[in-house]
This record gives sequence, C-alpha cells and structure tokens, in this order.
Amino acid sequence: MTPRSAGARTAHRRPVATKLRDPRGLVGWLFVAPALIFYAVFVLRPITLTFQYSMYEWNGIGASTWVGPANYGKVFTDPDLFDSLINAFKLIAFFSAIPVVLGLAIAATIRRIAQSRLALVARTVLFLPQVIPLVAAGIAWSWLLASTGVINQLLSLIGLGGVTRAWLGDFDTALPAVGMIGAWVLLGLCTLLLLAGMSKIDPALYEAARLDGAGAWREFVSITVPSLRQEIAVCVTVTVIAALASFDIIYIATQGGPGNTTMVPGLQIFYLAFAEREVGTASALAVVLMVLVIACALPIQWFAKDGNR
Amino acid sequence: MITSRREAWTGRVLLIFLMAVTLLPFLSLFVTALHPSGTYPAGLAWPDDPQWGNFPRAFEAANMGELLKSSALIVLGVVPISIVLGTMAGFAIGHLRVIGARVIFLLFVLGLTLPFEGVITPLYYQIRDMGLLNTRWAIILPLIGLFMPFSVFWMRAHFVNMPGELSESARMDGANVWQLFRRIHVPLAMPAISSLGILLFLWTWNQFLLAIVLVDDPAKRTMSGALGAFQGQWGTDIPLLCAGSLLILTPTLVIFLLFQRHFVKALLQGSLKG
Amino acid sequence: MARRVHPGRSGVAVVIAMGALAAACAAPGANSPQPQATGTSPVSAAPTCGSAPITVSGYFETGFPLPKALTTEFTKQHPNVTWDVREDQFAVITQNAPRVLADNPPDLMRLPQVSELVKDNLLKNLDGYAQAFGWDKWPASQLEQLRLGPGGRPRGEGSLYALGLNFSMTGIFYNKKLAAQVGMTKPPATLAELDQVLGKAKSAGITPILQFNGGATGGLAFPLQNLMASYGPAGPINDWIFQKPGATIDTPSNLQAAQHLEKWTKAGYFQKDINAVDYATMMSRFIDGKGLFMFNGDWESGNLDKQMPGNAGFSLMPPAQQGGKRAAMSAPLTFGIAANAKNADCAAFFLNWVATDKRAREIGVEIGGSRPMGPADAYMPAVASDKVTASTLEAGADIAGDNGAMDFIANATGAIYAKSWTPNLQKLVAGQLTAQELLTKVQADYTGQLEGN
Repeated sequence: MTPRSAGARTAHRRPVATKLRDPRGLVGWLFVAPALIFYAVFVLRPITLTFQYSMYEWNGIGASTWVGPANYGKVFTDPDLFDSLINAFKLIAFFSAIPVVLGLAIAATIRRIAQSRLALVARTVLFLPQVIPLVAAGIAWSWLLASTGVINQLLSLIGLGGVTRAWLGDFDTALPAVGMIGAWVLLGLCTLLLLAGMSKIDPALYEAARLDGAGAWREFVSITVPSLRQEIAVCVTVTVIAALASFDIIYIATQGGPGNTTMVPGLQIFYLAFAEREVGTASALAVVLMVLVIACALPIQWFAKDGNR
Repeated sequence: MITSRREAWTGRVLLIFLMAVTLLPFLSLFVTALHPSGTYPAGLAWPDDPQWGNFPRAFEAANMGELLKSSALIVLGVVPISIVLGTMAGFAIGHLRVIGARVIFLLFVLGLTLPFEGVITPLYYQIRDMGLLNTRWAIILPLIGLFMPFSVFWMRAHFVNMPGELSESARMDGANVWQLFRRIHVPLAMPAISSLGILLFLWTWNQFLLAIVLVDDPAKRTMSGALGAFQGQWGTDIPLLCAGSLLILTPTLVIFLLFQRHFVKALLQGSLKG
Repeated sequence: MARRVHPGRSGVAVVIAMGALAAACAAPGANSPQPQATGTSPVSAAPTCGSAPITVSGYFETGFPLPKALTTEFTKQHPNVTWDVREDQFAVITQNAPRVLADNPPDLMRLPQVSELVKDNLLKNLDGYAQAFGWDKWPASQLEQLRLGPGGRPRGEGSLYALGLNFSMTGIFYNKKLAAQVGMTKPPATLAELDQVLGKAKSAGITPILQFNGGATGGLAFPLQNLMASYGPAGPINDWIFQKPGATIDTPSNLQAAQHLEKWTKAGYFQKDINAVDYATMMSRFIDGKGLFMFNGDWESGNLDKQMPGNAGFSLMPPAQQGGKRAAMSAPLTFGIAANAKNADCAAFFLNWVATDKRAREIGVEIGGSRPMGPADAYMPAVASDKVTASTLEAGADIAGDNGAMDFIANATGAIYAKSWTPNLQKLVAGQLTAQELLTKVQADYTGQLEGN
C-alpha cells in the first residue's frame, strides 16, 4: 500500500482501523461510488441496453422478437439509413474542415493584434454561437436562408440574384446549407482555441524564421501549424463529433429534408425509435453511431499525443 | 514595419467581418421580431411600425416565467450534484489513487465522446419504468450520469497535479480523508470547480434531445427544449417565433456577458481537456 | 496515473458497474405491462362529465382555432370542466402520438393515421359510447374512415376508434381578383380548362398554384390526389388507403395523374421554392394574393372569409371529362381517446356535444368552416352565400351525391407520409424521380410497411 510516513500517529495506535481507512481502499472507493453509480445507471446500462435492443425487433410497446444481427444488415443496406451515415460524413467537411482551416487562417492573421481592444471585443462576440442553444441557431439560420431571407437579399445586392434560392429546400444546397450553420457555430470556438495556442508559441521562433528570410506562408507552415498540433487535434475532435452526432440544428432547420438529403443518424434514430417505433433498427443505428464516433475520436487523440512525446 | 502594419489592418478588417457574420443571425431575429405578427417579412428591413408588443406577447405565449423557473430548477438539480460527485471521484482517482483507479478512469473516459442519441432510446424506457417521464427528474438524473465522464475527467486533471506532500502534512495533523478533502483540497480546487460549473450550466441549459424525448410539457423542460416546443407551436408565426427565440436566448446571453471571462476560459480549457 | 495497479482487485470497479447492468438481461418489453385491447365495454346510460370539478387533458394541433373555441364554449356550458391543453404542429403530433398515447395518455387527442395506434391497443374502442349516444344512427359514411378491423386492418369497417369534430373536405381555393385578371369567370369545369387557366396565369406573371412541400410535409399530395380523382374512380384509392388486400397505388389512371403533376412542376406552375415552403407560409402567401390557386381544405374557409373577405373562391377539382364524377379528399377532423385516458367518459360526452349542441355546430361551421358531424337531420347554421364557407359546404353536398369521398393518401399507414410521399414528392419536384418511379417507390414502401407490422 502507500508508503506511509512514520509520523502518522493514529496509524500506529490502531492498525485495524488504518486498514479500513486506507484512502486507497474502502474510503477511496466511497468517494468514487456515487459518481460511478450515476454513470452506471444512466450511461453504462443504457449503452448495454442499446446493444441488446439492436438484436431484437421491437415496437417499444408489445413483445419483442430476437432477430440477431439482422438490424445491422438493414443499417448498411437500406439506402435511407445508410445515406444518413454518409450525410454525417459529408457534414464533417463543413463542421470540421471549414472551422479548422478558416480558423487557422484567421488566427494567424489576427495573431499580431490579439491583444488589441478590438480583439478582446471579438473574443466575446465570436463566442456567442457557442453559448446559445443550437435550436436558436437553427431557427435564426432557417430564416436567414429562406427564399426571402437575408442571404438572398445580400446575394441580390452584389449582383448574384441568379443564384438565390430557398437554400434549405433545394436538393443540391440543403446539406451544405445545414453544414454552414454548423460551421458558423464552431468557427468562433476553433479560432479562439487556435489563437490561445498561438500565444504560447515562443516569439523567438518567428524572429529566427524572419531572419532566415521566411515569408508569412513558410512561417505558418513550419512554425505555426506544427506548434498547434494539440489545439488542432482538439478542434478536429470536437467538430467531428459535433458533425457525426448532429441533431438539434437539423431537427429545427430541415427535419432531414428535402427528400432525405439532410437526414443524419441522430435524427434518424429519433424518428425510428419514437415515430416509427422500430426500436431494434434505431438501436442498431445508435450502436453504429457510437462506434463511429469512437473510431474517429481515438486516432485523432493518439495523433495529438504522439506529437507531444 | 510596413508588412506588419498591413497585416494588422487585414487582421482588423477580417475580425470585423467575422463579427458581422456572427452577429447577423441575431440582428435578423431582432428585426424580424418587430414586424407585425403573422407576416413574412422579406430580408432585413426595418418595419414601418415596429411591433414592440411582440415581445410581451411572446413572453406570455412562451410562458417565460415558468420556463425560467423550470430551467433554473433543472440546473440546480444537475450542476451541484455533478460537481460534488465529480469532484469526489476525481479526488479519489487523481489524488488518492484508489485501487483500480486506472480501470475506473478508463471506464469514465469511454463515456467522454458518447453521442446522447446512442442511449436515448433505452433511457426513455428506463425513465418510463422509473415513473419519471414528464418530470424534471427525467432530465436531471440522466444528465448527471451523462456529464459524469467529463466531470470526473476534468476534476481528475486538477487533482492529479496536486502535490502529495499537501495531504501528508494534513494527515500529520490528524485529519481524516474527508476532512482532508473538504478543508484542503476543495478550496484549492475552486477555480477548476467553477469552470466546471459554468460548462455544466451551459450544457444543461442548452440540452435539447433529452428534453424533447423525455418531457412533453414545455414548462418542465430546459430552455432549449422549451424553445423547441415554442417553435413547434408558434413556428407558423415568424415574428412571434423570432421574438420568442430572442427572449429565450436572453438569460443565457446576460449570464454570458456577466461572466464572459470565466466562460471563455472555461470553454477553451474545457475543449482542450475534453 | 497510478502505475501500481493490483490486477486482481482492479476488477472491482467493473464488477460494481456491471452489477447495475444485470437488469438488462430480459428481452425488451418482456416485463413491461402490455396494453390490452379494450373490448366493447357496454355502457348502460350515456356518460356525462358529472358535476364535480374535473380537468380534461387534450393534445391539439397548433394553428387551428376550432378545438380551442369548442372547449371554451363547452366550459361555459359545463363550468365544472377545465381543460389542460398541449398544442403542437401536426408533424410533431405524428411523431409523438404512439409515445404520448402509451405513456402519458391524454383524454382527448388530435390523431394522425390510426391503424397502427389501434393495432397497438393505444386507442379506446368507442363502440360502447356509439351505442349509448346513438352515433351508430348517424349516416354511416361519416364514421366509415374511423372504423377499423381487429388489429387495425382493414380500415372502413369494424369497431369505431375515433370521432371527428367535423367532416372536412379539400379542393381548390382561388383568388377571385387574380382569377378575373386572367379571365377566369367561373371555376374550370374540366381538367383541360384548369390547365388553360394555369397557363394563362403563368404567362401573366402570376404564380399559378401556391402549395407547400417543405420539411416533413409533402403538400403536393393534395394536387396529386385531386388529379387521381380526376383521372379515375375514388374506390380503388380508398381501398389502398384502407389497406385492403391486394390494393395498389400504382394503377394506370394514377400514373396519368402523377404524370400530369409532373407536367405542372416542369411547367413552373408552382413556386420555385416549393420544397422549402411550409403550410403556414403557403397560407400567408395566398392571403397576400401571391398566387391564383391553392389546393387545400375547407378548414381554412372560416379563416379566409376573415382574412380576404369576398376575394376567396372555392371549387372542387374538375373531372378529366366534362360532366364526369367529382371526388375529393374528405375526412373527419379526427379526435380520439387514449386507451388509458382518465376521463374517457367526459371526453366522449364532449365529442357527442360537439356533434349535437346547437352552439357547438354553429362554431363548427363559423370557425371550423366544415360540415359538422352528427345526425342527418341535425340543425344546420345558415351561412351568407357570398362567403367561401358557403361554397365549401355546398361542395360537400356535391361530393356526397357523387359518392366521391376519399380519405387522404397520406393516411394509408402511419409512416407513409413522412417516409415516402414527402421525400418522393420533393424528389419529383427536383426532377430526381419520374412520375412512374414515384408510384413504384411509394407502393414498395407501403408494402414494406404493411409487412413490417
């Protein structure tokens, strides 16, 4: 057990009690137990049940029938279900790629004025989308993107009246439009995270690079990006999970339409489980989603950790 | 010098542009909310006759008083319990290093990236069998469990960096483990705890999926769930919907602006560690 | 991280955690109470709401003032009854119906498609009430769509599981001013005449048809079904909706109808952003005079009389041939009682009151705009002839004469609207599906859904 200092007087006097009070044993466990119980009852048990339900055909009300892995077969063969997974991956391009790449570019550009008053105001403003409910973002943006909305008004103003449309109701643009809402929500967070990371980079590195005659681009590629490895990994993880598990925005903005162009696994699970009462299929999709999220998150974490060693 | 001044200017213009894009949806909500109820205002146009009355109407239609109370009750249920339990567990795992700490910690980490949609179906039947559907407990209890991985992870990260000597000297003074935790470690952990509190507050307040699945009555939901219901009911009246959305946003915005420094710090650290 | 882990004892954590999971062994649903079919419980005397204070819970559709007006009047007449009403849009009600009926049963609820709700024993069998109140003596056609066979199939016969607040009907509303602009003096008498007017409107720069087709609600099902009724008889469509064995939507005359709709979409007769237009947007545009026609139901006639007085006209869909039979989607505004409702008797009493009380019937016509349910000889409030409500009521009589009442094709199964008609109609607009593919896909989904259940 823990090497105890000889001066622990109580320990000398009552060895049995000490054993009981050993913070690494029973007492320590008493500290962990309440958290563990909540976690087990409301997370671990439901996870196990999701696995179990996924093996049954069940309408949520009557009796259930064991169907083995058939529901998984359905997830990968029914185009409606499989397409929702594909859509989630397409959303990554918007939820992750845009905020991270654009965030990097913006952070690099404003790095020099990071301490100005304007930048401090910007810190607050850029955080707003993180603070408000995603539902509100969905409501506001579906109105902006409507056929009579501000986006079309602005496009007409700059002479692009020809491309105006109901962005969320068009088969070609609905998914990108929903993706842009996600990008709007996540861009501020990524920018500020990366900016915070940049402030930790030793300015001497940049000076050295300048002395070597490196341009802004060289600086960016050979100093900024490698130093931000961990921050970038964090941005990618957070945004990829947000894309794969998206629900709120799409529930509000498109309900998965038009057609099924914006259907994502989260919404599909909700519909399947509660409106169509195909609990088994919903659970199989839920298992696939959980596995996908972990499968995407783990490699990114390892990538970040390796870079630190 | 010239390059750097140009850089600064590009930076400024970019920042302002970025802020404009961020604020545009809020502006659009606000302007639209002032149009006569039931109309479909086109684009951003200041109404001839601003209908300030839409805000009190939406306040009444959304039952804002009840909503605020409900969200506050849910937050009061989730945040303190999560903090206490998370801090205790983080202390035991990170500082006491209980037997099996590694396994438990991994068990919690497993839940860090869990999409809530993954467990919502069994959670529904579980809450139903517990007889808690349509009560605030249906949101509070699962959220405590669902936030536990992060809470433990967050507090462990704090306690793991606490020097062991701190406890040793306290023990010499005859403090038991609980006193050690309560008198020495909790006060030292206050910054970590308050950041955790801010994050949990925000995530609870904005929780949507659990609210719409587990609670039918909007007056017993979180703010976000209530906004979903408000959209479900008044989505046909755009100005009123916009006014209601703004009202529902206001409490979060006010709290955010009051504690913005803590918020920004907590959110940045939160995502870095999570 | 603690490096010195005792492998033998570290499993304790897992053991404790797994203990909580032990409950997860039985098959899902094995030990939850199974709802039982409510038999035809004989009701001796007609039930009432009593005289003790009672709170009846309701789950209604947003945007339609009729139920609220009726419950308010009911409380005026029966002050011991108060209402606890929750409202949602119809699409949300559709999503929530099974869950709410099973786990939080309202006394009175606006119902979506009922087959599966009946199959899962979520709705109260109303046969006992029908006998006690004498509903079975009303014209049989009023209640046909609300009768279901054992297990929910087929529809159209069997026990009564719901009642209507009124009997609504659909057709074409038109803007009289715009009609005059394109030279339309009376409603088109044939489909060809309608096509002509649409073409004229288009070239005059007027949107010919305002319709909704966005989100989860494919409103093109309205014109589609009306076209189906122009090209063919109503009977086979009803058989399909009622899930009669062997029924199909993919018939030659329905194909003509779908192709006609496709022609309209290609000709640009609908708004360009139709796939983003929801019901409320369509209504607001029609009221604003942004288009000539709108396929919709008489539940809006009261509203249109108020919002564009004298300027709204209504006509049934013209048949393909001059003088052909007319048909229209017409269905009760369906309300039911949850199987486990606490105040079922009072809810049934209310439904009977809606159909028989003089004031309730007036409200049904003035605010609901549709024909009330009830006995054939019941009191019928008078409506000024210049009102669109008068035309819709008259059209209702025509349909009854031609035996042309159809239920809505979106009501064939619980999921057919959200999962099949809506996405496929949206694809038809976008040119991603042909008319034939539309019918083939919907029929395949229909068969799959019936097998799945």
